[in-house]
Amino acid sequence: MSRQLSGLKAWLWQRLTAVYMALFTGYFLLTLATLPAPLHYYHWHDWLSATGPAVALALFYVALLLHAWVGIRDVVLDYVHNAALRAALLGLLVIALFAAGLWVVKILLMVV
Amino acid sequence: MATVKFSIYRYNPEQGGAPVMQQYTLDQIEPGMMVLDALKRIKVLDESLSFRYSCGEGVCGSDGLNINGINRLSCITQLDGLGGRVEIRPLPGLPVIRDLVIDLSLFYQQYRAVKPYLVRTDPEPEVEVLQSPQQRGKLDGLYECVLCGCCSTACPSFWWNPDKFRGPAALLQSYRFLADSRDQITEQRLDELEDSYKLFRCHSIMNCAQVCPKGLNPTEAIGRIKQMMLGKMI
Repeated sequence: MSRQLSGLKAWLWQRLTAVYMALFTGYFLLTLATLPAPLHYYHWHDWLSATGPAVALALFYVALLLHAWVGIRDVVLDYVHNAALRAALLGLLVIALFAAGLWVVKILLMVV
Repeated sequence: MATVKFSIYRYNPEQGGAPVMQQYTLDQIEPGMMVLDALKRIKVLDESLSFRYSCGEGVCGSDGLNINGINRLSCITQLDGLGGRVEIRPLPGLPVIRDLVIDLSLFYQQYRAVKPYLVRTDPEPEVEVLQSPQQRGKLDGLYECVLCGCCSTACPSFWWNPDKFRGPAALLQSYRFLADSRDQITEQRLDELEDSYKLFRCHSIMNCAQVCPKGLNPTEAIGRIKQMMLGKMI
């Protein structure tokens, strides 16, 4: 993963995902503002039953995980110079992000 | 005729021990006096103090120092603006040879690596390779660098990876030749910078642009290199 996603590509993905997340956050806040208070679970459920919002939310999490991978990997490259420790930290990061991704899939499948 | 107290970093590896801050006081500081003038007067009082300088007018770039926490050239930094206490340290992040003299080997190694000279692949022309005023204009804000090292030694990314990250000074020079209409190895220059370290350790912290004694902006040049890479990819 680090081989394919380094240098210019990593930098570009970080920016593209940031733009998408910013747009989605605006859309999400607007949606929240238009829902009647108090909010209930069925509002959330109704919102995600439509294909558009469900796909947009799923893409948001893909963007978030990619963004987190590039950003945290950058921090590790900056500060951790010991090869073994770096490999261990990046490995842990991949596992953690992958687990978070699976968790999101599980939650989304439950709702949708 | 003011009095100024100086606190100066002293370190002599031959004598061992930890670095210390030594105190000096100078009277009769005149308006407009530079930090370098004060260092020369201190050198008269204590000849063991080592520091670099040459032209004394901000052109050679030999006397980059960390003065009151900011990297700058001692020869063009007036004592007037520094208050009554002046703390002088070597530029941070590189090995100290002695007192205020640092080992710039890594800095120059990164500079050499960007091929800071024009490369032509065409046969030598009979006459000069001409540039239009617009083409020449693109080099303004790039060619003025005096390689004092104030920017690279103010850059946290260069502190952590001085052996792998080119640093702002070298990248500014890289862009200086990328932007030059006479240079013919643009693609090769861009390819050489395409990895995780050489260019992309820059996180746009902008310390470089803040401290540059010549008012140059390496961060902007780095951004332009990224744009050129993007243009090449698309």
